[in-house]
Amino acid sequence: MTTAPREKKRGGWLKEEFGNPERRTAYYMVLPALLIIMIVAVYPVLNSIWLSLHAATITATGEFVGFENYVEMFGNDDFISGLKNTVIFTVVSVFFEFIIGLGIALAINRAFRGRGLVRAAVLVPWAFPTVISAAMWRLMFQDQIGVINYVANGIGLISEPILSDATLLLIGSILVDVWKTTPFMALLLLAGLQTIPGEVYEAARVDGANVLQRFFLITMPLLKSTILVAVLFRTMDSYRVFDLFWVMSNRQLESLSTFVYQGVRISQLQFAQGNAAAVFIFVTAFLLALFFIYGLGMQTSTED
Amino acid sequence: MAQTTGTMAATPVNRGMNRRDFLKVSGAGLAGVALLGVAGCGGGGGGSEGGSGEFIFSFGPDTSGSLQEVVKRFNKENKGKYTAKYREMPADTGQYFDKVRTQFQAGGGDIDLIGGDVIWPAQFAANGWILDLSDKFTEEDRADFLPGPVESNTYEDKVYGVPWFTDAGMLYYRKDLLDKNGIKEAPKTWDELKDAAKQVTEAEGTKYGFVFQGSQYEGGVVNGLEYINSYGGQVLDENDASKVVIDSPESSEGLSIAASMIEEGVSPQAVTNFTETESQTTFLNGDAVFCRNWPYMYALAADPDESKIKQEQIGVAPLPAGSAESVSGLGGWNFYINAASDPETQDAAYEFVKFCTSPEIQKFRALNGSFLPTLKSLYEDKEILDAVPVIALAGDALANTQPRPVSPAYSDMSLKMAEQFNAAFKGDVSPDEAVKTLQGELQDIADQAS
Repeated sequence: MTTAPREKKRGGWLKEEFGNPERRTAYYMVLPALLIIMIVAVYPVLNSIWLSLHAATITATGEFVGFENYVEMFGNDDFISGLKNTVIFTVVSVFFEFIIGLGIALAINRAFRGRGLVRAAVLVPWAFPTVISAAMWRLMFQDQIGVINYVANGIGLISEPILSDATLLLIGSILVDVWKTTPFMALLLLAGLQTIPGEVYEAARVDGANVLQRFFLITMPLLKSTILVAVLFRTMDSYRVFDLFWVMSNRQLESLSTFVYQGVRISQLQFAQGNAAAVFIFVTAFLLALFFIYGLGMQTSTED
Repeated sequence: MAQTTGTMAATPVNRGMNRRDFLKVSGAGLAGVALLGVAGCGGGGGGSEGGSGEFIFSFGPDTSGSLQEVVKRFNKENKGKYTAKYREMPADTGQYFDKVRTQFQAGGGDIDLIGGDVIWPAQFAANGWILDLSDKFTEEDRADFLPGPVESNTYEDKVYGVPWFTDAGMLYYRKDLLDKNGIKEAPKTWDELKDAAKQVTEAEGTKYGFVFQGSQYEGGVVNGLEYINSYGGQVLDENDASKVVIDSPESSEGLSIAASMIEEGVSPQAVTNFTETESQTTFLNGDAVFCRNWPYMYALAADPDESKIKQEQIGVAPLPAGSAESVSGLGGWNFYINAASDPETQDAAYEFVKFCTSPEIQKFRALNGSFLPTLKSLYEDKEILDAVPVIALAGDALANTQPRPVSPAYSDMSLKMAEQFNAAFKGDVSPDEAVKTLQGELQDIADQAS
C-alpha cells in the first residue's frame, strides 16, 4: 500500500473526521462505550502491568523492582509446568478440533434426511457447562467406578489409575476438550461452508476438477477467513484453560490460568508473580491475535 | 502483508485502511483483554454500625438447623441488649476464606464475628485483622478446653480465637471382619495395620486393605502430617516457628510408611487421588478393611442409601502410632472477632462466643448435629456418649490431636506440602527427597513471611 504525502491536507485526518457531521455523530455515539471499556478493561490492564513491575502484595503496591517478578516467574517450576501444559494442550486440542470439526462440517453440509436432528445432536457436548462435563468425565476416569479406567486397564492400554498420572491427565483433558468443543468448531465452519455458492462447485465440476481439487482449490481458499476466526477463537479459549483442568484433575494439573489463580487468590506470598503471569497471558494472547490478523491475514471487519 | 502497526494516528494515509487498522488493533486488544484475569480489586466497607449491640456473625451453611436455633435462643435471651445476625457463607472452606480475606483487605468489612477454620488464625493475626483475645479468653477459661484446638488459636503466644467445635482424624475398621479373623483389637501401629490388612484381604477377598486421603489438596496435607507426626517428625521448630525442621529421618520414615502402603498393595494406587468422598464411598461400600476419615463418616453408616455396611460392623479407634505416639490431624472451627469492629460490638460478639461455647449449647449441638464439643467435661457426659456413640469413640483420638503448622503463610506451605506428599505417596519422589525439597521450599516461605 502506498502512503499519501504527509502534508497533503492541513489539520490531518482528525479534522476531516470531525469536520464531517455524520462521522462526528458516530464518534459521539461510541464515546460512552469507549469510556466504559477504558474503565473496566484498559485501566485494570494497565494497572496490572504497572503492578507487575513492583514487589506487590495483596494489600500494597510495594517498591519498584523492574522485571524481577518475571525473572522469578520463569524460574518457578510451577509456572514452567503450567506453561508447558497450556501450550501442549492448546496446540494438540485445537489441531484435533479443527480436523474433526472440518470433517463434521463437510458431512453435515450435505443435504440428507434428518440433517437438522444431526446438527442439533452434535451440539450437545458443547451445551454442557465445562465444570459439569469435567466432573462427569472425572467420574468416568476414576478408578473405582470409572468405565474408561476400567476398559483401558482391561485391554492393557494403561497400568495405573488415570487420575494419578500427570501425563495421562493431560491426555485425558485434551480428549475431553476435543469432545466438548469440536461441535463449536464444526458449527462455525459449517456457517462458512454455507456461504460458498453451489455454482462455484458446479462450474469446477464442468471444468473437470476432481474431489480433491475442488476441496483444496475452492473450499479451502473460500473458507480461509472462517477457519482463521474459528481457530483463533478456539486457540484463545484453550490458552486460558482453567475450569477443565481445575475440576477434572482436582487441581493437580497446572495451567497458566491456575498459576495466576494460585498466586493471587490462594498464596499469601506469590501475588506479584501471579500478577506477572496474568500480564504474561495477556501479552502473549495479544501477540497471538496480532499474528492471526497480520501474519495470516485474518479479516476483522467486512469493510472493503 | 506489508502493513505495519502503529501508523494509525500519526500518518494521514488512506482513510479506509486507517480505520480498518484501528479496528484490527482494537479487535486484537479486546481479545487480549478478555484473557487477562483482573488481579486486584477492592471494595468498600469498613466497620459496622455499632452501638446497638447488634453484630454480624458469619458461618457456612448448617444443614442440621441447630445453629439457627442457637442464634434464635441467644437473641431471645438477650432481647434489647444484643442481637446476632447470622450471615451464611460458602460451605467450601477455601472459598469462605477467600471471601473473608477479601473483606479484610478492603478495610475490615462488616462481619464482626467469624466462625472460621482452625487453620486461619495465624494468617489473619499476622495482618492484625482479628482481635487478640488473650485477656477475654483467660488462661483459666482455656483450661476447660481440649488442648489441641486452643493451640490452633495461638499465634506468637497470644490467643486469637475460641474453640467452637472440633474434628480429628480417626481409624475406622471392619469390626466384623477383624473378629472373624481372630484379630481382637484395632491395630496400634502402622505396621500392625499393614499385617492385619493383608491377612483380612487375603482371607475375605475384600478389595483393599486401607484407604486414606492421598490426593494433592489440604486433606492430603493432613494425612501426610499424621504419618510424619506419628514418627516424631515436625514441620516447624516447637520453640521457633520461623525455623523449618521437616528434613529429619523421622519425617522421611513417616512418608515411607505411607508410600509402602501403596507399594505393598495394602492401599490401592488410586488412593493418591482420593479425598474424603472417595475414601468414604470405598469403605461404606464394603471394599476396604480400614479407613482413615473424620468423625462425620460414622453417622453415614446408619443410612442404607449411603452405606452397604451397618454401624455394628464398624469400629473406631485412634490412628495407629509410628515409632512415636499416635497423632490425629486437627480439624474444626473457632470464633474470631474482627479487629476493625468498634469495641462495643466486639464485646457483644464475645457474649455470643461465650454463649455458644457454654456446656449447655455445646451439648445441644452435639446431640443435634453430632458436632464434637471442645470442652473436656462433655466427653464424660453420659447423655452425649449414649446418644452419639462416635463422640465416645473419638475421645481418645481427640486427646492426641496436633494442629497443622501455625504460620502466617500457611496457604503457601500447604500448597508445597500437598505437592510433595502426593508425589511421595505415588512413589514419584523418594520420601527422603520429598522432605529435603520441602525443607528448602518451606524455609523460603517462612523467611518471606516474617
